[in-house]
Amino acid sequence: MTEIAQTPHEAHHTPAPPRRGVRRLTGPGFLRAAWLTPLFWAIGTGLVLFFRWLGHYEPIADWTVITVVAFLTTAPIGFLAGIGAFDYWLYYISGRATRVDDHASHGAYSWRDYFKVNTDHKVIGVQYLVTTFFFFTVGGLMAMLVRAELANPDMQFVDTQTYNGLVSEHAALMIFLFIIPAFAGLANFAVPLMLGAPDMAFPRLNALSYWLLPVAGIMFLCAFLAPGGAFATGWTSYAPLASEQPLGQVFFNMGVQWAGASSIMTALNFLVTIITMRAPGMTFWRMPLLVWANFTTSLLVVIATPFIAGSQFFVMFDRVMHTNFFDVSEGGYVLGYQHIFWFYSHPAVYIMMLPGFGIISEVMAVFSRKPIFGYRLMALSLMGILVLGFSVWAHHMFVAGLAPWLRVPMMVTSMIIAVPTGIKIFSWLATMWEGKLHFRTPMLFALGFISMFVLGGLSGIFLASVPIDIAASDTYFIVAHIHYVLFGGSVFTIFAGIYYWFPKMTGRMYSEKLGKTHFWLTFIGFNGTFFPMHWVGLQGMPRRVADYSAQFGNWNMVISMFSFLLGASTIVFFYNMIISWHRGAIAPSNPWRALTLEWQVTSPPPVFNFDEIPQVVGGPYEYGVPGAKHAVLRGGAATVHEEEVVR
Amino acid sequence: MRRGSIVRITIYGVLAGIAASLVAVLVPWLPTSASEEMDRIEFTFWFTTVICIGVFAVVAAAIVYSVLNFRVQPEDESDGPPIHGHTGLEIVWTAIPAVLVTAISVVSAIVLARNDDAGPNPLRISVTAQQFAWKFEYPGDDKVVSGELVLPVDKPVKLTLHSRDVIHAFWVPEFGQKSDAVPGIETTLVITPTRKGSYRVICTELCGLGHATMRAPVRVVEQAEYEKYLADEAAGGAPDESSGEAVFVTAGCGGCHAFAPARSDAQVGPSLDAVDPRGRPLDEFLLESIEDPNAVLAEGYQGDVMPNTYGKSLSEEQLDALVQYLVDGQKGSE
Repeated sequence: MTEIAQTPHEAHHTPAPPRRGVRRLTGPGFLRAAWLTPLFWAIGTGLVLFFRWLGHYEPIADWTVITVVAFLTTAPIGFLAGIGAFDYWLYYISGRATRVDDHASHGAYSWRDYFKVNTDHKVIGVQYLVTTFFFFTVGGLMAMLVRAELANPDMQFVDTQTYNGLVSEHAALMIFLFIIPAFAGLANFAVPLMLGAPDMAFPRLNALSYWLLPVAGIMFLCAFLAPGGAFATGWTSYAPLASEQPLGQVFFNMGVQWAGASSIMTALNFLVTIITMRAPGMTFWRMPLLVWANFTTSLLVVIATPFIAGSQFFVMFDRVMHTNFFDVSEGGYVLGYQHIFWFYSHPAVYIMMLPGFGIISEVMAVFSRKPIFGYRLMALSLMGILVLGFSVWAHHMFVAGLAPWLRVPMMVTSMIIAVPTGIKIFSWLATMWEGKLHFRTPMLFALGFISMFVLGGLSGIFLASVPIDIAASDTYFIVAHIHYVLFGGSVFTIFAGIYYWFPKMTGRMYSEKLGKTHFWLTFIGFNGTFFPMHWVGLQGMPRRVADYSAQFGNWNMVISMFSFLLGASTIVFFYNMIISWHRGAIAPSNPWRALTLEWQVTSPPPVFNFDEIPQVVGGPYEYGVPGAKHAVLRGGAATVHEEEVVR
Repeated sequence: MRRGSIVRITIYGVLAGIAASLVAVLVPWLPTSASEEMDRIEFTFWFTTVICIGVFAVVAAAIVYSVLNFRVQPEDESDGPPIHGHTGLEIVWTAIPAVLVTAISVVSAIVLARNDDAGPNPLRISVTAQQFAWKFEYPGDDKVVSGELVLPVDKPVKLTLHSRDVIHAFWVPEFGQKSDAVPGIETTLVITPTRKGSYRVICTELCGLGHATMRAPVRVVEQAEYEKYLADEAAGGAPDESSGEAVFVTAGCGGCHAFAPARSDAQVGPSLDAVDPRGRPLDEFLLESIEDPNAVLAEGYQGDVMPNTYGKSLSEEQLDALVQYLVDGQKGSE
């Protein structure tokens, strides 16, 4: 420890020298993971074989059990240990010297640093985003295959099991490996900066949260390699169908555990960071709305996510251990699965929406050059959605055969949740009113979000009404609704956030022209794809079918054509991101002239964000207020904007 | 706000409302109703639509007006007016949506109560779902069971739904009503058909590989014709309960397998028109495949797809009859 105390300040930022020879195999990294993963797999398999031999179970080599224990539990732990996610803790537990303050794993100095366990929240944020956009691409290509199959009635390209697998994988990847973690990635980058904090409260936990994600994603994808194909019961994975499916189903059951653990750890980290690491003067009522949004989202995650973990364990236990949670012939209760599942999965809708609300609030204020209209009500409506969000889950079960009396109360709460959501929409519109609107790409996506989310919200009103829901549920109307709120809603806000913080993350400007092209192609492709689904569904096309009645052939062809346009639009996005990151114009520290703290430091920010702790003196959105300041920074990069520096 | 801008924003709102109304009217959103319940659902749908068009028009007008009027001039680096909020406005846009959704809730609750009410003496039909077929049990002493749902027009029907394996869902788009058939519990559905014609039951809950093919014909007929149908089924069809053909229909074989004598052309499982018994006696091979579908897999098909419960759920006589029916129906067997 004394050695560390003597290390000069500058040395903190120097990466550790590369290891040589055999030590490269024992130091943290992919080389060590390459032998620790199979080793842990062998340990898991050995344990299964030993205990089955001990208990005289036949057969001793049961591949279902080996898959669950060795492939899906111990091997990933071996991988995480190999890359070094547990190094610090294991050193500490065993009493060896820890590398507590050398910060060798802080900051990124070359692209290789992004492939290491890194504790810098900014690096982790970028790791999150690149990873999630990889899975976005994979999930999107699956959607393209689905639309190719659906372009014409009858079966053309894939068989039914593959089709059901593609549909389920598409949803699972987009929800658990794209939308939820993409928001976590954006917040990981922005929230500590916005709070005036040097990092998250628990940087090593933060790194572990990130590395659980590729584990979960690869697990989902590996399901295709399982005998019988990938899990094919939709992302809802209803019992008892799920307990009877081929082995691929357990890859979903377990993948959700890893992704869920990642979510829960990140949420705890956000909560502690937001509560304890706000800069002096940063009261709750001075926090940017993105911080508020992630505060409420993290509460939702911490409370709700254990329920989906439980629901998936129950299904898996029914298969592996012959428990009978959902086996009717043994006294199981089928609806129990849906109640537990939706008690998570409805709040999950808000987990996938509230961070987006936060992003839009930032973008709206900055590009309208006006304070957010009704700041406190905006924050309170987030809390309102948080509370109400736990009282509406049964609206997914209006036709499921649940207790009839439960339907009207759940309809009323579902309707009332439109009120805080409406408050947010109207407040954004009022924020724009009489503003000075700059239609940069983030603002276009914000406007696109508001208009699409209004349509998705209105179709939500139809679905909250029990009689209409009875006609519409499990049809393409539902597919249309969920894509209006999750694509037109969440994904548009993710794009807005990516463009908004791109200069801060990379230190370079994106191409505005390509950004706008991306927006318009996405907007047209999106509406052409999903709007016709409303009436196709109501007229009688059920969802999750590879083959459908010929009467819907024409509309499905139209939908598929627009979906290919939508798919192609992301090529423009990726081209813009890659080219701009590589050689875009150098970004100033505050290209949008924003007041929040992340823009008061260099682009990209220094390793520890602020050279001195900022002093917060006012609200975050005081645009147009003469002389108003959100925070005072002494020194640091804020000198770029001389007028904002107090010294 | 100046008067000119009030006029303009109103015009935008009206135009947006007209555009939305045209989309609402010109697109055939709902199938033509064939039941009293669907009539009420349609009413709720249009009631909600009118309110939603109003909300949409307000939001669209605000967005269009802002985009057209508040676009910044090039080189303008100034800020907008520092308006932090307006308590009156905030109360208004909390209260009005609350009133609107309350109105929709009240209408919906009333419609729901009426759609659940089958009246004092409905016709009771028991529906059994299984992978991937529907079976309908009619009331009366003859205990008619068929794979077709025949309903008398203008008479309330109470369906009781059961499932033998996984969750299925019963939906006839023109009737509006829908309910899951859940293993272990009984669910009910009320339908009062108002229009004679032919429809289809569609399974809307993903139930496995044959989900998309899980359909059943529905006919709405006059009361007299309904009674005649039941009598005919009872006379001609009743002994057929144990005939191979009846077993083929009620066990749902046609949901997955093509078989010409049963006029089935499903492609989920292998065709039964020309079974290759792998050099064994055909009847023995068929019986084994029904009782243990994984014993021999046809090329290009996976195991664990077909339920392995038929050996238990069908009686020995039914299995023999089914095997005989399949043997007799083989192409080129004469």
